[in-house]
Amino acid sequence: MNFESVADVAQRLEKAEYICSKEIATVVFLAAATGKPILVEGPAGVGKTELAKAVARSLQRKIIRLQCYEGLDEAKALYEWEYAKQLLYTQIVKAKIDDVLSGTRTLSEAVERIASQEDAFFSERFIQPRPLLQAISADKPVVLLIDEVDKSDPEFEAFLLEILSDFQISIPELGTKKAVHRPFVVLTSNNFRDMSDALKRRCIHLYIDYPERSLEKRIVELKIPAIGERLTEQLVTSVRQIRDLDLKKKPSISETLDWAQSLLALQVEDLSPDVVADTLNVILKYRSDVETVRDNLSTIVNHA
Amino acid sequence: MRNLILKFVSSARAAGLRIATSEVMDCLDQIKHVDVLDEPQFAAVLRANFAKSKREQNQFNHLYRLYFHELREDAEMGFSDSIADHAETLLEALRQNPNPGPELPALLDFVTGDPLAYLDLLRRIQSDGDNHQQGLGANLGSMVRRLPIMLAIDRSRKVVDLFLLEHRDQMPWETRRDLKKHFNQRLDVARRLLTTAQLPEDTGPRKIASYEKRLARLGEQSFNSLTPKEVDEMRAVIQQLVRKLKDTVGRRYAKRPRGLLDVKKTLRRSMQYQGIPMQIVFRKRPPRKGRIVVLCDVSGSVWSSARFMLNMLYSLQACFTRVRSFVFIAGIDEVTHFFETFEVNQAIDKVLREADLAYGASTDYGLTLREFKRRYLDALNKKTTLIIIGDGRTNYTNPEVEILDEMRERSRRIIWLNPETEQFWYSGDSEMRTYEACCHEVRACRNLNQLLNFIQDLVL
Repeated sequence: MNFESVADVAQRLEKAEYICSKEIATVVFLAAATGKPILVEGPAGVGKTELAKAVARSLQRKIIRLQCYEGLDEAKALYEWEYAKQLLYTQIVKAKIDDVLSGTRTLSEAVERIASQEDAFFSERFIQPRPLLQAISADKPVVLLIDEVDKSDPEFEAFLLEILSDFQISIPELGTKKAVHRPFVVLTSNNFRDMSDALKRRCIHLYIDYPERSLEKRIVELKIPAIGERLTEQLVTSVRQIRDLDLKKKPSISETLDWAQSLLALQVEDLSPDVVADTLNVILKYRSDVETVRDNLSTIVNHA
Repeated sequence: MRNLILKFVSSARAAGLRIATSEVMDCLDQIKHVDVLDEPQFAAVLRANFAKSKREQNQFNHLYRLYFHELREDAEMGFSDSIADHAETLLEALRQNPNPGPELPALLDFVTGDPLAYLDLLRRIQSDGDNHQQGLGANLGSMVRRLPIMLAIDRSRKVVDLFLLEHRDQMPWETRRDLKKHFNQRLDVARRLLTTAQLPEDTGPRKIASYEKRLARLGEQSFNSLTPKEVDEMRAVIQQLVRKLKDTVGRRYAKRPRGLLDVKKTLRRSMQYQGIPMQIVFRKRPPRKGRIVVLCDVSGSVWSSARFMLNMLYSLQACFTRVRSFVFIAGIDEVTHFFETFEVNQAIDKVLREADLAYGASTDYGLTLREFKRRYLDALNKKTTLIIIGDGRTNYTNPEVEILDEMRERSRRIIWLNPETEQFWYSGDSEMRTYEACCHEVRACRNLNQLLNFIQDLVL
């Protein structure tokens, strides 16, 4: 079920509704071939998370997602020990303990008996697995998506290193757990802060930028087939023009798609300055950006 | 293939890219899996392994183009057999140059097919442009440094011509033609590299990487001797520092001691577990955030320190409950709203132009304090830290020190930052000695290091 070549990657990702450049395909192929994690960076909305999902779809694997945020710790990412459950079990089986101990004459004999049973109290039964442990112990290979890893704390990043290089996890109560299958790992980052060199070194780095013109057109055509070719052309051209302006948040592919969707809903056939001015709110997320674009409206639409 | 990549790596390292050995090994391992004859794939493998951030990406692309396109002649390095002997003698002639600068050996190495030294030379030209402190006409710097290399190239060209002319009888004209072609080609490439070398300016983000170096340079420089360019640099440095500080503060919140045992809550929780205290609850008290009130003298010399101070305070706003700021010369005006509506640097510019002040007047601390008492005294309470930035030069008016004393009573502490050097504090019309008595702390604050120390003490 693995990828055969770079071209195969591109083809199968496209079947999973993800159009990618050759560079992306190459990196995905390499990651699959060498079992290394991919660190994807790039502006928001260029399809970093979508890449992981598409890979999962094309490999027909389950995707396990870990969303990072400030304050994320091991208990939420890895596993949690269920004390309450353990305690409950202990209470329920109290009677059983008497059975086990019956017939013992000395204290040391009783301790010996209990010791032979103690695995029952420290077993995986009482572990509540979180995404990372799930990914490692899954019986079928999965895709593990660690989203926005730059939002997590530096300590968590250091903690990831063990998993990313050896694919194993240490659980103090049980010992070290090795991966049954190597998961296909994708980390995404928004450049909120720089990742440490150690983490970068363990990953194949991929920077996804705003797509090339032809690529963007193909993406729009694939995702929103109902839109006409002329409008697509105009749409893509104006979005590219808008990206060239000095904006706080430049529109990325997801915004282009939203825009196309809303133009479709408004039944617009032709992109005129008025239409652009009315629908700017779909692609721009700051008021000052909207104003900047409004001032440059004539140049944007004329080129389109 | 391995040799080609290793050579590229050493060139890239010479050009300042940081590549770890394990990354090279990964790359060599991965290159086996792709079709190396397809350039996008080949480039993607190299880029994925060697350029691991957006900053490095630009540099990598530049180097990649340089190495695999501009320097492609390297593929058939050295000389073809027919001209090899003569080439050696020619090189010998080139080495005979009466005054060889440091450029010449590097250039000759480059001509014979070893670009490392030359690339290193080019890189040094660029980075020198960053480091040197220059006075007027500073932007000539990197040009001046390029000049000797250009001259060396031209000189070498002349030597080649002369050499061929002198040895006209000793070799057939095809050899002479090949020699001339080969050398001129290499010299052309060298020249092109030199003239199209990336200017340090357009590698903008790279500056951040070396910000510690700049901090060392800017740290001790007095605020009022900064050039506009340095002011911009200073802002970038401050931004970095602020981010670092925020990280530290965040860690402090995460790692703070857990506080005392909350017996009541622990007992209550234990009811769920048949009276066994499974969850222990601590009485957490979040670290106290300060309230800040800033009084800024915005007259001339003091302002240059005050602006950076404000910049830092407002960038660190998350660390305080509230920051209120006032500016004064003679009379006082609140400028907090500028900082609430505009981005920090914009707001600072606006403060200078649009606050309701008589900008021409001479500083009057007495009047300022009187007005503060009348209009804003409610801004102070027992949680407030009052920061006053000023030189304490009252122009011989009434210092109104009683009001400051009253303000001290109302606030948690008063810190006076003086942008003057300490020797001048008590001279002339300076009332520092009078005011000093009312302050909890008096600090000099005339360069970034001092400011940084202060902010660190304030936040942590």
